[in-house]
Amino acid sequence: MGALIILSAALPIIAGALLLLSLTAERRCAKGPAREVAEPSAQKLRVLHLQVLVILSISALLAMTAAWSGEHEITLFELIKGIPVYFHTDGITCLFVTLSSLVWLLSGIYSFVYMKHEGKEKRFYGFYLMSYGVLLGLSFSGNLVTMYLFYELLTLASMPMVLHNGSREAIMAALKYLFYSLCGAYLGLFGIYFLYQYCDTLAFVPGGSLNLGLAQGKEGILLLAVFLMILGFGAKAGMLPLHAWLPAAHPVAPSPASAVLSGMIAKAGVLATIRVVFYVVGPDFIRGTWVQTVWMTLTLLTVFMGSMMAYRERVLKKRLAYSTVSQISYILFGLSVLSPTAMTGSLLHVVFHSIIKCSLFLIAGIFIFQCRKTEVSELAGIGKRMPKTLWCYTFASLALIGIPPASGFISKWYLAQGAMEAGVGAFGWIGPVILLISALLTAGYLLPITLKGFFPGREGAGLSVENQEPVLRMLVPVAILAALAVILGLFPNLLVSFFSQIAGTVM
Amino acid sequence: MNSVILVIVVLLPFLAGALVPVLPFKNRRQMMVYVESAVLLNSVLAIAMLIAQPQDSFVLFRFTSDLTLSFRLDGMGTVFAAIVSVLWPLATLYSFEYMKHEGHEKVFFAFYVITYGVTMGIALAEDVVTMYCFYEMLTLATLPLIMHTLTREAILASRTYLYYSLGGAAFAFIGVIFILVYGSTPNFIPGGVLDLAKVGDRTNLLLLIYVLCFFGFSVKTAMWPFSKWLPQAGVAPTPVTALLHAVAVVKAGAFTVMRITYYSFGTEFLRGTWAQTVVMIPVIITIVYGCSRALKETHIKRRLAWSTVSNLSYILFGIVLMSPLGLAGALSHMIFHATMKICSFFCAGSVIYKTGREYIHQLDGFGRRMPKVFAIFTISGLALMGVPGLCGFVSKWNLVKAAVSSENPLAYVGIGALLVSALLTAIYMLTISIRAFFPEKGFDYSTIQDVEDPNWMMLLPLVIFTVAMFVFGLHSGPVLSGLESIGALMR
Amino acid sequence: MEFVQNFPFFSIILSLFAGPLCSILNGKWAKRVNLAVITIILAMSSAVLAFTLRTGDSYVYMMGHFPAPWGNEIRVGMLEALMAVFFCLIMLLCMIGGVLEREREIESTKQNLYYIMVNLLLSSLLALIYTNDLFTAYVFVEINTISACGLIMIRQNGRTFEAAIRYMIMSLLGSGMLLLGICFLYDLTGHLLMSNIKEQVAILNASGQYHMPLLITVGLISVGIAIKSALFPFHAWLPDAYGYSTLSSAAILSSLVSKGYIFLLVKIFYRVIGFDIVRDSKIINVLFVFGVIGMIMGSISAIKESNIRRMIAYSSVAQIGYIYMGFGFGTELGMIASLYHIISHAATKSLLFVAASGITDASGDSTDFFDLTGAGYRNKLAGIAFTVGALSMVGFPLFTGFISKLLFAQAAVDSYHKLLPALIALAVSTILNTVYFMKTVIRIYTPEKREVLAKKQYQVITMKDQKWKSAALVCFIAINLFFGLYSEPVVGLLERGLKIFA
Repeated sequence: MGALIILSAALPIIAGALLLLSLTAERRCAKGPAREVAEPSAQKLRVLHLQVLVILSISALLAMTAAWSGEHEITLFELIKGIPVYFHTDGITCLFVTLSSLVWLLSGIYSFVYMKHEGKEKRFYGFYLMSYGVLLGLSFSGNLVTMYLFYELLTLASMPMVLHNGSREAIMAALKYLFYSLCGAYLGLFGIYFLYQYCDTLAFVPGGSLNLGLAQGKEGILLLAVFLMILGFGAKAGMLPLHAWLPAAHPVAPSPASAVLSGMIAKAGVLATIRVVFYVVGPDFIRGTWVQTVWMTLTLLTVFMGSMMAYRERVLKKRLAYSTVSQISYILFGLSVLSPTAMTGSLLHVVFHSIIKCSLFLIAGIFIFQCRKTEVSELAGIGKRMPKTLWCYTFASLALIGIPPASGFISKWYLAQGAMEAGVGAFGWIGPVILLISALLTAGYLLPITLKGFFPGREGAGLSVENQEPVLRMLVPVAILAALAVILGLFPNLLVSFFSQIAGTVM
Repeated sequence: MNSVILVIVVLLPFLAGALVPVLPFKNRRQMMVYVESAVLLNSVLAIAMLIAQPQDSFVLFRFTSDLTLSFRLDGMGTVFAAIVSVLWPLATLYSFEYMKHEGHEKVFFAFYVITYGVTMGIALAEDVVTMYCFYEMLTLATLPLIMHTLTREAILASRTYLYYSLGGAAFAFIGVIFILVYGSTPNFIPGGVLDLAKVGDRTNLLLLIYVLCFFGFSVKTAMWPFSKWLPQAGVAPTPVTALLHAVAVVKAGAFTVMRITYYSFGTEFLRGTWAQTVVMIPVIITIVYGCSRALKETHIKRRLAWSTVSNLSYILFGIVLMSPLGLAGALSHMIFHATMKICSFFCAGSVIYKTGREYIHQLDGFGRRMPKVFAIFTISGLALMGVPGLCGFVSKWNLVKAAVSSENPLAYVGIGALLVSALLTAIYMLTISIRAFFPEKGFDYSTIQDVEDPNWMMLLPLVIFTVAMFVFGLHSGPVLSGLESIGALMR
Repeated sequence: MEFVQNFPFFSIILSLFAGPLCSILNGKWAKRVNLAVITIILAMSSAVLAFTLRTGDSYVYMMGHFPAPWGNEIRVGMLEALMAVFFCLIMLLCMIGGVLEREREIESTKQNLYYIMVNLLLSSLLALIYTNDLFTAYVFVEINTISACGLIMIRQNGRTFEAAIRYMIMSLLGSGMLLLGICFLYDLTGHLLMSNIKEQVAILNASGQYHMPLLITVGLISVGIAIKSALFPFHAWLPDAYGYSTLSSAAILSSLVSKGYIFLLVKIFYRVIGFDIVRDSKIINVLFVFGVIGMIMGSISAIKESNIRRMIAYSSVAQIGYIYMGFGFGTELGMIASLYHIISHAATKSLLFVAASGITDASGDSTDFFDLTGAGYRNKLAGIAFTVGALSMVGFPLFTGFISKLLFAQAAVDSYHKLLPALIALAVSTILNTVYFMKTVIRIYTPEKREVLAKKQYQVITMKDQKWKSAALVCFIAINLFFGLYSEPVVGLLERGLKIFA
């Protein structure tokens, strides 16, 4: 069974690498100074799409089987003396594996049509598959060093997707992504060095394995180390102060890439934070210390600031990017409160936000693909031309804002309740207040599109009413995601109990 | 094995090198074959010696009854000698292709081979006087190599190199004298040779002398504030810069610092004193300084030279932690960095050789036309950054492990410096790769139509180094155990 | 008494009379006589050295069979014999090396005058080495001064006149002070024979009488000799004298003349006043300070020079500073280091001067720094010789300069209080030496631009072209390497000689 883990992660990585190698081989034979390869024919393209779909499906199947069929583990060679590359499945793994597979599959199907717009499919799918494989590896990681390895690889594998269209802006955004992520990774590494010395093991143990005896007298530096790790891994999650890459990277990346970036890759930061705080150090070590206080402050600031910036932003994808910044900090806030209820809320929000944001980005992509519209102001009257799309958008928005019975409401409820009962002083009520304000702002930046879309008023006069609905291959994934956003809110019990159980084991 | 092998591997290159200008070669190819065979023969002998591990010492010459030129092989010497003897033949192979374009090859290769012998002399020196003598000789032997192109820049660079090196040796000399006077023997003994009874209450004097000696020997490692000479020496042909300034000369400097710290003065005497703090500070400064200068530099070889400045201070950082783990970490970075840096330099050299372009901004789009070279360059960049799976991560890990367990607050600052440096390394190495593989949209490839991958003589060493980086990165266990056992010899 | 023991006396007399002999010979024959005399004296001194090594002790030789305190005495031990051998050897090589220059630069009618001066100089040096009598010492000091002056002036141009005059003035000033000191000593002790004076001084010192006059005497003598041997700050005459005179003069002056005076000073310290008294008088601290300053300032001035001869001359100032620093330690190790440096510097400095002349020959006789570019390729032997000399000056292992540096450093470590300034001065001085010497070495190996070569039409000089000079250079290199690699016997000899010197 352990071999399944390796196989599921390795398959997409190898497939992606093979795609890239075949591209290089084609280039070697190509003529001309730029060694340009001719655009593939429709037939070749269909074959490529089929290959990608098959790989994605098989990996997803293998991964989910490995994750859901009980606790497994497998140890590979030693990376450093005493620290092996080690994989292990547990509750968190199940969550991330399932979510990743869902997001990647649906975005993948969507992208088969979308990428006609962008071109250079082989290169894109090469890195798309590799990112998926690496993310699976990250989810399966059983100790800090393995996790760090895949964390670094994830940055390297996903960066080329950001600079896909090759414009100067894209290259700059990709560099920004790279360096913020690396900065964050190195901050994390700083902490890993110290945890190696003072924890019994770097493997993930529910509740952590900090050796309090060894750490006697060294609390100062250890707290600093943990704080830097939180900051560092928070960079990928878009937490202040290392969030600036997100708004830069999203507008320039192709929409399917934005979807997986916001949907899952940013959650890798969340995963890393969870692992560090709850499975290596242990929440008891930082509860009540300045680390917790600062962390909570930062997350709440991010929540507020993200929503504010989103409200003022005019480019739709950038608006959604700021929204991601804000929403992921909801998750991080819930984690920082260090109470089981809040953690449940966070984990719920991981699921819900991934699904919602994925669909929102895909929809934004539809707007670009079908009508070439990137700015919010240009979307007046869009409802007349693509009603189905806009309805999906509306449902997803409602879920994100937190209107019952949509899913966002459930996660926000748990977050607020967790904050209030956690005994974190003023944060207990400041937190929910900020969440509420943010919800209002969310409404403010999401709903006008729906309203103006369906009821354009004076601006819509004179606009054509031709049908610009996207083809089914683009619409269906979006619809599935939007539907899930609502349905999971109606029937959350399975999820809630699953996550409560996880939270219970670590606290 | 008889200990005479020790002196053979030192003197054979002297002899072979001195004969190069004299022997009548019919054509260039003959000379190439001679030089490569000489170097290869010496390496084979050296590796045989390292495996056989002769225990006795060999006295070559006596200045006076207690001052001798003598050689002996121990653990640390094995490590350095191994690095040198493996890398020299590969570098020589690479330089044949490269030097086709330059001229005056006979003198060049003569001194190139002699330097091999001198470096082995440093590795195998049994006592501090022998090491000092060969250290001075190293400056002189490498001087004509830097001066080779005889341009104004080269002359200036060689002058700077000379002043700095001989100046550093002058201060190091003071330390040598003190070891002779206050030590029970001039030989290298793990844990140090200071006769504490003789030292008495002059501890502070001895510590001051150690600091002076440290600074003196560290000039060759281009530690701040003595860094200027190394980037300037980038004007030399790439095989020189790569081998000597990434491997032989600068690593010899680090090696000598290791010897005086662990084998002459002794860490027991030095650890925890103000001397340790005083030497740690410039080391930490250099770690970040080297990287920030590399960032600003746009000439490829000078950028890599500044990167060497920074990485050498990683090794020095391990040394000044003055613990067994620190020594093991320093030795591991010595080995791994040599591999990574020589690989990067050779990639840069291939680019310069094939296209004559020396500046970063001229390399846009090269990734498409020289994919092999740039792929390898990217891998070496990732290794330098410390991505797990490659060797840089392993040596950094060991250095930091030593720093964390030393529980010295200044060492913690050092860890921060190491990570800042890693980030800066990522920036200055990866931007080159990204520009090469992903030039801006609308880049006109016809401007680089002539660019191509070099031939096997240049590519083979590159491939070997890449494989080595992965092997060390994924399977470093045996090497690390060996290094830790050397470290364990220290108290 | 063995026949060999007469040799020192014979050496002095022979060279003294060879002087007037040369006045009636023409230039060519005078040269031959001179070379023959030096060679004979070299052979004799070697025999004496072998003798003293065999007996292991020094002996006293009365001249004219008049016993002390009226007659004249010379005393011969290992140290003196070694110095004699060495001085003769260096003088021989300097004379051989400078043959061409003498023929070129001195008027043919005055050639024999030069050899008169050289012979007188040799006799005075030998006398200073062997004498056991203060008055004789003074007489020969004066003879030394005059012949040295002649050596400078023999090449007649404005510069040498000025240099000779300056030299004369400074030197006579020094001699004057020396004479004053000797007079005081005679007054205080009533003797002129060195060993006798020493007894009296010891008695005086023990009783505490005449403490101040004794101090002043030591001071006068030290300063007098310091002026004559160009210790900083009395060195102003040196660069001109060495820089502009003919080659063999410069070489002999720099290696031998100043060393003769220094040796006299050592003799006075040990044999006249007694080293303990000297040490207690703190005069050695003054010497130490000036020595250290001279080490640094000499090199700094050398860096500023663009004339290669003057640069080497300033280097001498620095090296003499080393020797006085060695005195300043006030320990036996310091003395041995200084004595060794006398030998080492003599060998190296003469090598440098001869090599420099070879380089300037290949650069159209120009001594300007920039004209020397690429000279190493035009005159290969001179280039190598100059490099050897430069490396020895810098203290590179394998050469004699390294052993000097080693001995000084060990002496420094031994004397706790002067340790730090001495070691730092050594290190800084090495760096400074590196700057100007290695700069020159690099320049002579930087190939000159083709246009400049075509214009200037420099001569390429091979070994065959200048047979004598090349032979001298090879010998010098051999000596340098010899002392660098086999210094132990020499140092041992110095040690033993110093013990029986007092």
